[in-house]
Amino acid sequence: MQLWILLLIPLFTCVGVGFGGERNARAIALGGSLATLAWAVVLAMQFPHWQAEQWLYWPAPEANAFPVIPGLGIAVELGVDSVSLLLVLLNVFLMPCCVLGSWVAIKERRREFYIWLLVLSTCVMGVFVSRDVISFYTFFEASLVPGFFMLAIYGGPDRREASFKFFIYTFVGSLFMLLGLAYVAWQHAQQTGDWSFAISDLTTFAPTLSAGEQGWILLALLAGLAVKVPLFPLHTWLPLAHNQAPTAGSVNFAAVILKLGLYGMYVFVLPMVPEAVVTWAPTIAVLAVIGIVYAALICWVQTDVKKLIAYSSVSHMGFAVLGLLALNPLGLQGSVFYMLSHGFATGGLFLCIGMMYERYHTKDLREIGGLAFKMPVWSFFFIVLVFASVGLPGLNGFVSEFLCLIGTFTAVPGAQTGYPGVLGPWFAAVAATGMILGAMYLLYMTGKLCFGPLREPADHHEHEELPKDLSLREIAAVAPIAVVCLVFGIMPWPILHAVEPVAEAVLKPYPALVESHFEQMDAAAKVSLLTDTTLEGSR
Amino acid sequence: MLSAIAHTALANVAMAGGGDSSHGLPAGAPFGFQVPIPPVVDEQSFALAAWMIWLPVLSAVLCGIYAALGVKSRLPAWTTVAALAGSFVIATITVSKLDFASPVVVHLFDWIDISWSSGSGSAGDQWHGLRANFALYLDGLSAYWILFVTFLGTMIAFYASEYMEEDTGVGYCRFFAGVSIFLFAMTALVLGENLVMLYLGWEGVGLASYLLIGYYYKKPAAVAAAKKAFIMNRIGDLGLALGIYLIWLEYGSLEFGVLFAALQSGSTGAGQYDGWAATLIPWCLMLGAFGKSAQFPLYVWLPDAMEGPTPVSALIHAATMVTAGIYLIARTMPFFLMNKDLGGHALEAVAWIGGLTALLAATIAMAQYDIKRVMAYSTVSQLGYMFMGLGLATSFGACYHVLTHAFFKALLFLCCGAVMHGFGGQLDLRKLGGIRRIPGWGVVCGAMLVGSLWLSGIPGTAGYFSKDEILAQAFISEGAGFRFLGWIGILTAGLTAYYTFRVWFRIFTGPTHFKPEESHAHDSHAGHAGMDGQEDHDFHPHAPGLRIKLVLTVLSLGAIWLAIGYFVGDVWGTQAWIKNAIMHSSAGTGLQLMPAGEHPTLFGFEPHTAMYFISGTFGLVGLSIAYWLHCANRKAADDLRAWLIGRRWIAWLPRAMEHKWYVDEIYIATIRFPLWIVSQALYMFDRVFVDGIGVNGTARLPKLAASLFQPLYNGKLQGYATSMAGGLALVIAWVVWVWMRGSV
Repeated sequence: MQLWILLLIPLFTCVGVGFGGERNARAIALGGSLATLAWAVVLAMQFPHWQAEQWLYWPAPEANAFPVIPGLGIAVELGVDSVSLLLVLLNVFLMPCCVLGSWVAIKERRREFYIWLLVLSTCVMGVFVSRDVISFYTFFEASLVPGFFMLAIYGGPDRREASFKFFIYTFVGSLFMLLGLAYVAWQHAQQTGDWSFAISDLTTFAPTLSAGEQGWILLALLAGLAVKVPLFPLHTWLPLAHNQAPTAGSVNFAAVILKLGLYGMYVFVLPMVPEAVVTWAPTIAVLAVIGIVYAALICWVQTDVKKLIAYSSVSHMGFAVLGLLALNPLGLQGSVFYMLSHGFATGGLFLCIGMMYERYHTKDLREIGGLAFKMPVWSFFFIVLVFASVGLPGLNGFVSEFLCLIGTFTAVPGAQTGYPGVLGPWFAAVAATGMILGAMYLLYMTGKLCFGPLREPADHHEHEELPKDLSLREIAAVAPIAVVCLVFGIMPWPILHAVEPVAEAVLKPYPALVESHFEQMDAAAKVSLLTDTTLEGSR
Repeated sequence: MLSAIAHTALANVAMAGGGDSSHGLPAGAPFGFQVPIPPVVDEQSFALAAWMIWLPVLSAVLCGIYAALGVKSRLPAWTTVAALAGSFVIATITVSKLDFASPVVVHLFDWIDISWSSGSGSAGDQWHGLRANFALYLDGLSAYWILFVTFLGTMIAFYASEYMEEDTGVGYCRFFAGVSIFLFAMTALVLGENLVMLYLGWEGVGLASYLLIGYYYKKPAAVAAAKKAFIMNRIGDLGLALGIYLIWLEYGSLEFGVLFAALQSGSTGAGQYDGWAATLIPWCLMLGAFGKSAQFPLYVWLPDAMEGPTPVSALIHAATMVTAGIYLIARTMPFFLMNKDLGGHALEAVAWIGGLTALLAATIAMAQYDIKRVMAYSTVSQLGYMFMGLGLATSFGACYHVLTHAFFKALLFLCCGAVMHGFGGQLDLRKLGGIRRIPGWGVVCGAMLVGSLWLSGIPGTAGYFSKDEILAQAFISEGAGFRFLGWIGILTAGLTAYYTFRVWFRIFTGPTHFKPEESHAHDSHAGHAGMDGQEDHDFHPHAPGLRIKLVLTVLSLGAIWLAIGYFVGDVWGTQAWIKNAIMHSSAGTGLQLMPAGEHPTLFGFEPHTAMYFISGTFGLVGLSIAYWLHCANRKAADDLRAWLIGRRWIAWLPRAMEHKWYVDEIYIATIRFPLWIVSQALYMFDRVFVDGIGVNGTARLPKLAASLFQPLYNGKLQGYATSMAGGLALVIAWVVWVWMRGSV
């Protein structure tokens, strides 16, 4: 029931926004998003499993199942574990910031805008709290619709192409995911005689499938999830969409929508197809590493600041994928932490860029710069968020990056940690060059935007509604994000402790699988050696 | 007589470093190093120690609040000075309570503390968690470092309170917030109990350096220099980070106490990737050290960093931050000794890179006209000496040189700052001269003379003793070509004396003439900039005020005290105290610095004795040449230059030295530009191939097929939505069909 309320508050706010009139839309939306935040905080305080011994959902999904088609086993089940609750908190935390950030920027069709924003928030939360495949998939796909309309109506000049590409690309990908999940459900029905779409049933069942089947399921799941993550080379929708979206849209895309992909990998891929993961992890990790370096280099030559930050997401999410595939607690906790810290840092950066854009109507680094003198407060927050993104210790980006990389580094066969892995030092070493490249492009951006002599577009005139530097409203939007970045950089343990039991539960089957994987490889090597020697002997 | 006193002092040091049993170093310990006793966790008697870190944090926060409130007074400066002085006092109290024989760990709060039950059940004991908490590790090395860091921090902040006065307001707050952040990070670096906290400080000083180099953020050169410093440092940080990962993989801990205990028991790592631990860890750490301490090939950021305000150059880019690399290697010396013991060459590489950097930077410093750049290259060169000392396994020599260098180089920079401040931002030594005779400049002149003498290593000065400690060791330690390396160091000592006194003679002697900087673009002199072109005639240098003079005097006295402390070391106990501190920490090597049974000689003398004459001679020769060319007969200098430029076979030499051997240009041509081209190519590739052909091409395939069903595809959203609905319907139909078949 608690979770239903969580989903319904923004929806009811939509009704309020719809009937409240154009003038009041933003205030009602702000109130609604704050109410959602408050409710989520209440939930978080009630959540009993922050430091549990084992991995549990709360409330127990079976207890609150809402049957839809009992014969087919279709029932809506909601529940959260610590990871999904953390992501819900990320979402509801950023929502008031988004509303405040769009306060002045959205001048026309306000009601519609805020309705889409709130619907987007609901859909995303729906994905995080779903404990059955059908509602997961429904929310997953439904989140495209508000995203599409925010892009198509309120976006930049290329909004048409951006919105279509965003919609079709991710939609097509997730159809494959649906196929994969449907196949698992069908096999489950075949072998147990009962239809069920509950994630818990499917995740316990799927690992019993053969390695070949698991491989195909992995491929199908990845087709949908890798687009969202996004994994190289499936990333091209992202720079376009992030670049063209209005501020609140960019913030949401970067901070939350991208996390759907990684969260999906955590919910489905790791528990369902462990054998295939062990086999294919190096391949996927290679794509992630390519993405890190490739996108970072591309960032470095961007002149459009939003595109730069968009590409930086591709680079950053590569670290999170690596952490997930390290198959050890360090990497997994780092990966979950990465989802949160990337959400805050990059979301905050997009918010800052939006504030600058409202004043100067350009995001071209060649036209604008040296704002530190004119907008010191803005520059302060911008620099804090840049360094959170760079991964400076003391801010949250460092903890996640460090854990992901050390997890990847120690994912070696026969690791003393008790969690052997299939990656290893080379993956981490190449990915770690992303640290240098990250500093290069982010400081290039900061140097252009904040420092140097003041450069303003030729046709610039002061905005009548906006002060020269940030207003209190804008500070209220961005300051909480900066504070969170600092707090979780110094005090990461609440999150790390919350994820500990989850990591152990999810990774339980892996050490044995990885070891047998290496044994098989050894055996195969021996067999080939044997045949070679026999052949030579027969000669 | 001088020689006799010095000789006994030097001999004492040689004995202390020699690891003989009288100093209680365990003979035959694994890898030949002496490891501290496991640290004692003591939060009661060292509760105060945490404030060494928190006071600078507090002052940074306060400065931020002042900026927000628009404070226009000197409040930020006094807050910072008070906080740093408090930090120094606490450091003194803490160190006085500390027994070097038993390191102390003070836990502050949990940071990264992860544990798990073993996955496969086969885990080693130590690998059940990753612990990197905020905790202090107090031993001789960190005590030694923290004392001079906080002392010089206080002094330089006091100096800056006057120096930065033109910027009172937001800039003043920003400056002192940056200094406070720096001190916080530096104390965290030095006192950190584990490698991750060290890394926090390591990157934190990088941040402070970035913010303060870019203090005059309207100047493109300053912004570029700040960015360059951070990125070059990040290259080093990559090495440090990989070293940390590798250490954890091999030893299962990042805490110094645990690591040293493991190394003492002879552990060469967990054997994952055989031999990686011993071979790779030192090289990774070395890369980190070379980035932060500006050694070849990562030194190019330091001279550019002189764009920052001079107190910053003195504090961060001369006295404290750049010695962090020395600290890192001294702290992790056991890994290097393990490497040496197993036949690796990491220490030799440290020595050689240090020595060659010293020579390279000294040659560049000889031909620069900007006095701050001369001092910057001199810092690179002196840091090279320190690395040479570490590589030659005389960590005492290296660490002692860190201290003397911190004093005299801070002094030199502060004098340069006073000159620059007084003469309208002028730094070109061709446009200043005879300042000695202008009233009010006596203190600066004297202080700079002390600094120059100490840097040149003129006999009897502290710089001379600490440098010779290193140089003589080159003729004692066994290693690849160390004797040749020693001669490189001696040659560099001569060059050092020359370029140092070139600056001093040019600025302070000869006919008095001065000119303010033409562009006057400097922000710190924005007050003057309002005047029109008449300023050359109206320009009056303003002599430094009381606070600057006070700081210069104190630092000069400190430098002199270090020299005297050397002569009467046993009386005042300074030198014995330092030796004790270093030798009882992880930097303390138990290596036989003297090869057993051998008595290496230099020209038939004991190397320390011989070095006394040799390097003294080289220093005096360098000084004399500087005197001849830049004081007594300045025309000779011009003639010499004209002669060099006029000869085609040698003309490249002065030109290359003036252009810093074109290292920056080489980097741009071989790394930065190709990388930029690659990035542009990748961006093109991303648009044309990945997005264009890959994505849009695939997207067109259905359209081609769909041309059969033209009416359905009108390019409108509705059309797409219909087809999507159709697709979804097909999928659902398939599921239902499968279900039907399954249930039948």
